[in-house]
Amino acid sequence: MADDKDVLRDVWFGRIPSCFTLNSDEVTEREAEPYYLMLPRVSYLTLVTDKVKKHFLKAMRTDEVEEMWFEYEGTPLKWHYPIGVLFDLHASASALPWSIIVHFKSFPDRDLLHCPTNSVIEAHFMSSIKEADVLKHKSQVVNDMQKKDHKQLWMGLQNDKFDQFWAMNRKLMEYSTEEGGFRYIPFRIYQTTGDKPFIQKLFRPVSPQGNPHTLCDLLKEMYPAALTNDGEQKRYQVLIHGIEPLLETPLQWLSEHLSHPDNFLHICIVPVPTD
Amino acid sequence: QSMSLSVSPAQTTVWKRQIFDQLTERNKREMENFTHYEQAIEQSVWVKKGTM
Repeated sequence: MADDKDVLRDVWFGRIPSCFTLNSDEVTEREAEPYYLMLPRVSYLTLVTDKVKKHFLKAMRTDEVEEMWFEYEGTPLKWHYPIGVLFDLHASASALPWSIIVHFKSFPDRDLLHCPTNSVIEAHFMSSIKEADVLKHKSQVVNDMQKKDHKQLWMGLQNDKFDQFWAMNRKLMEYSTEEGGFRYIPFRIYQTTGDKPFIQKLFRPVSPQGNPHTLCDLLKEMYPAALTNDGEQKRYQVLIHGIEPLLETPLQWLSEHLSHPDNFLHICIVPVPTD
Repeated sequence: QSMSLSVSPAQTTVWKRQIFDQLTERNKREMENFTHYEQAIEQSVWVKKGTM
């Protein structure tokens, strides 16, 4: 049987084949061919699309170029969500490669955050890690780290260096045996419907009676509609990194092994595809 | 770890094996037919040059 550490590698090295196409309204000097790329599930769109930008800029009229942004079937893609979350949430039922439209005009300010430089992504990433550590260890681990340790986490993600990242990240995954887990599980539950972009509340990995909480316990409290009652037809898929873990999976284990590099467990709830 | 005390090994195997199997299947589905695609992040290759 595979080792738990293999899961960490599978999570880190997950890739989504993508096809970028220029929006048909863009003013170009010549035709722009589509651009095909393997996107890391755990990274951020604006961090890994330099090549895409360079490719399409060659065809663009320079006076028509504003900030680049991405769209999938009419939905602007939020760069500050991990790529795998965007795919699972919006496109998991569609055929591969994932077809993404590239824009250089009409930035949708109401839907997207601006991302002028990679330092904006770094600040977002580090603030998520700090938030997760507040929940897990009352900030103790992040606060005990040095500036260079924070940099190591970011550089690990930026340069796709699994060992560099995990040499530091393992500290953020530690907990004492008597506590049986983190203080709270850093999680976010996404859905495409509803007014809120995601659900995030306090939830402990262990019940007051000392029983490990499972994925089912979390959903029962946060999103009961995602669960199927006896005799009912399944309506929703609960996706983490493109897979559907069994509902009896312990939440603490999921948090340690299926969290994104930002240390949050990102859970997507999508309607069961009808085909 | 205290977590494992109330979860029997047989139960553990089921949910864990299911995750391993699904990840393998996901990698096959999302990566196997696309190995010719360019990677978004280039892995730098270090070449050690020695003087003989």
